[in-house]
Amino acid sequence: MNHLFRADTLSKRFGGVQAVQAISFEIAERAIFAVIGPNGAGKSTLLNLLNGIIAADAGSTWFGGVDLTGLAAFRRARLGLGRTFQKIRLFRHLTVLDNVLAGFHVHHRIPAWQYVVHGGAYREDRARFGAEARELLAFVGLADRASVVAGSLPYGEQRMLELARALATRPRLLMADEPAAGLNAAEVERLVERLSRLRERGLTLIVVEHNMDLVMNLADRVLVMDHGERLFEGTPADVQRNPTVIAAYLGERAS
Amino acid sequence: MPDALTVVVQQTINGVVLGSLYVLVALGLTLIYGVLVQINFAHADIVTVGAFAAYFFTHRFGGHYVLSIGVALAVGAVLGWLINSLVFVPLRRRGSELLPLIATIGVSILMENASLAAFGPIPYAFESPYSGQVIRLGRIFISLQHLLVIAVAGVTIGLLYAFIRYTVHGKALRAVAQDVETAGLMGINPNRLIMLTFVIGSALAGLSGALLGPVLVLTPFAGASVIVKAFAIVIIGGFGNMEGTILAGLLVGLIEAFTTQLMNPGLIDIVVFALLLATLALRPTGLIAERREENV
Amino acid sequence: MSEPGAGRRWAFRLLVLVVIALGPVVMRDTYWRSVLVVCALNVMLALGLDFVLGYAGQLNLGQAAFYGIGAYTSTLLVTRLGLSFWPSLVAGTVLAGVAGVALALFAVRLRGHYLAIASLGFAVITYQVLLQWISLTQGPLGIYAIPPPPSLALPGLPVIDFANPARMFYLVAMFALLAYVVLGALVRSPIGETLAAIREDEVSAAALGINTPAWKAFAFGVGSAIAGMAGAFYASFIGTLVPDAFFMTESFTVLAMVIVGGLGTLIGPVAGAILLTVLPEALRGVGDLRLIVYGVSLTLVVLFVPGGLVGTVRTLRERVVERRAPGAATA
Repeated sequence: MNHLFRADTLSKRFGGVQAVQAISFEIAERAIFAVIGPNGAGKSTLLNLLNGIIAADAGSTWFGGVDLTGLAAFRRARLGLGRTFQKIRLFRHLTVLDNVLAGFHVHHRIPAWQYVVHGGAYREDRARFGAEARELLAFVGLADRASVVAGSLPYGEQRMLELARALATRPRLLMADEPAAGLNAAEVERLVERLSRLRERGLTLIVVEHNMDLVMNLADRVLVMDHGERLFEGTPADVQRNPTVIAAYLGERAS
Repeated sequence: MPDALTVVVQQTINGVVLGSLYVLVALGLTLIYGVLVQINFAHADIVTVGAFAAYFFTHRFGGHYVLSIGVALAVGAVLGWLINSLVFVPLRRRGSELLPLIATIGVSILMENASLAAFGPIPYAFESPYSGQVIRLGRIFISLQHLLVIAVAGVTIGLLYAFIRYTVHGKALRAVAQDVETAGLMGINPNRLIMLTFVIGSALAGLSGALLGPVLVLTPFAGASVIVKAFAIVIIGGFGNMEGTILAGLLVGLIEAFTTQLMNPGLIDIVVFALLLATLALRPTGLIAERREENV
Repeated sequence: MSEPGAGRRWAFRLLVLVVIALGPVVMRDTYWRSVLVVCALNVMLALGLDFVLGYAGQLNLGQAAFYGIGAYTSTLLVTRLGLSFWPSLVAGTVLAGVAGVALALFAVRLRGHYLAIASLGFAVITYQVLLQWISLTQGPLGIYAIPPPPSLALPGLPVIDFANPARMFYLVAMFALLAYVVLGALVRSPIGETLAAIREDEVSAAALGINTPAWKAFAFGVGSAIAGMAGAFYASFIGTLVPDAFFMTESFTVLAMVIVGGLGTLIGPVAGAILLTVLPEALRGVGDLRLIVYGVSLTLVVLFVPGGLVGTVRTLRERVVERRAPGAATA
């Protein structure tokens, strides 16, 4: 079977700490792949490696058959790799709409001079992207907040905006780092519903999460990490029954 | 004509002396960065004011030179307390990364021009009673001032080390440097600790001023001549990394001593900064990336 | 933008043109006319820095170096190679721009403090090179007798002699205005939006596919090119070129102008440059203490009014609108 995404013995060391150790996995298209583990397991570091924000010490990644080694983060994004962050990284001083529009920059196909002086092609692009942006906002439930300054949104809505903005790049694979962090039960439910719908539309997902409900409901496969290493990988049901996983989580009971 | 060995040994000694001075200045910077993740641009000006304080204590009040070191230390501590209280504490709430740095640039300009108005642009001749007394070991010359510098630097660094490694405060300092939030959860008051660090770092700056006074051209801009070298040392050694800073400082001192001997002294700055830029190019985040992963 | 807003902007622009036109008429004193020229030069420096810092979010402390590169390049071309002023101006601008791009590409992985220090290191190295490379720059002795731009003989008009400070002011002000207009266009374009994204959060901008290294280099290049252009004018205005004019503290002065005027706006650096050029001159009677103006204003603004002059004006205007019609002030 042709996998959309593949990671091969990824490793990263920081000073004395081996943050990620020989992690390998494969993800099929349209799968939802969850990464779980206690705090400090190296999950976010792993995403940073996949995303290209930091360079791996060893190992490689393939996306749609393309070897990502050495590619900068923005090039990976242009190939269709989207990312949201654990710590919210919105453009706080820009409006909600402008945040999403920023995600459309990769799609501009206009001659260079129109970057400075707005010509016809630029205006067409703008109109199209504006419409699409509003659709995305509607999808995440922020349709009526378009002109609000992003920094003033309540926390849950900021998380949704991050999602909308990442979707603007039209990714083939989206990596979400704790998308449910800080959300209340209703918001989590809506998030699960939206992520399912995205999968139906053809999106592949990697989700790092602490929220077990979300993981068990959504994920096809789960990778459990602990101290940077692969502890276990399997279906959600397998993971729940596995004694090593349970042991690692004792004392780290996630709600 | 001194033989090569004599030159090497002599310049090594000079380099260690010079390096010790730089280390003292840079240590203050790196300590502060370690807990605050902020650079105090006015650090150099604290060095300058410390030098002037020591000057006036010895040349106008007739105090003993060794005591003036303590005076400069105290002056530095006070300035550090002021700058932290008036600049960093209020700005910390705003959560901007660059604003505090810019604010310290403002304080630096202010201090320089205030000093200019108070002391004038003409260099002051700061003479230490020990500068003239030279010990001769064969063909090597060491002035008592040099020995004093090495002694003071050694003792200071040793005390600092012991403080950080073995006292409760010191350990708390390292905890805060690692992770401010967790340290807070463990009952350490980060604000008090930051203030303590700032005061210690600035005291170091003042102290180095007293030692540098006899060596540098003492004008209100004396600190500026040292500051960028201090930055270079901190970066080469790694922000927040004490051992690295010490090594880098000695390295820079040695480079400077040997360069002065061999080439045009004006090229020293170019060599040091080329080294700085090279470090930045090769290891852009210095050693700090190895110690603390950026929280993304 | 609402119509009254656009109307107000045009009125403001007209006012600026009038002020520029009348400046040398009001100031009849040669000394003050020279101050006006320096104002215009500082406006260019501040605009260049504001583009990099306020719009792209990069703390560039090397503006003094680019100023010097522009000045020395054009001067050497004129005095050594006998080139005319105008191509030398272009060369100075371009070379400074290239240096800016090079610095940005070199510092591509650096952020925040590291970039600030790298740019400062670059400024120090440039200064030392200018000082030490005596065969090229004559070092601290300086280069003398630099001619002003050649007189312009336009058909039907009397010959314009640029040795006259008033004429020089109009020339420099025109280029400063040009820089202002070009930057304005850039800022309101998709380029401006891209830079804003990078300024707000570089990491997520990269995750959205924005080529952050390239755009940072672009911003640096533009900012440094403007500084280089100012440098070429500076040399031909002052007539004597010494490296000390480009010591790293110049970078700090320009920074003060940008911050005090209002970071992230275009009028801000203009206002800040004018204020911090004129004020120390006006205070000459007070002695050396007047230089404290830079430090005090910068520190106070950062601590209490980070929006600078422009920010203060906007806040005041919003308050006035609030008082007249509560709730009518727009976000």
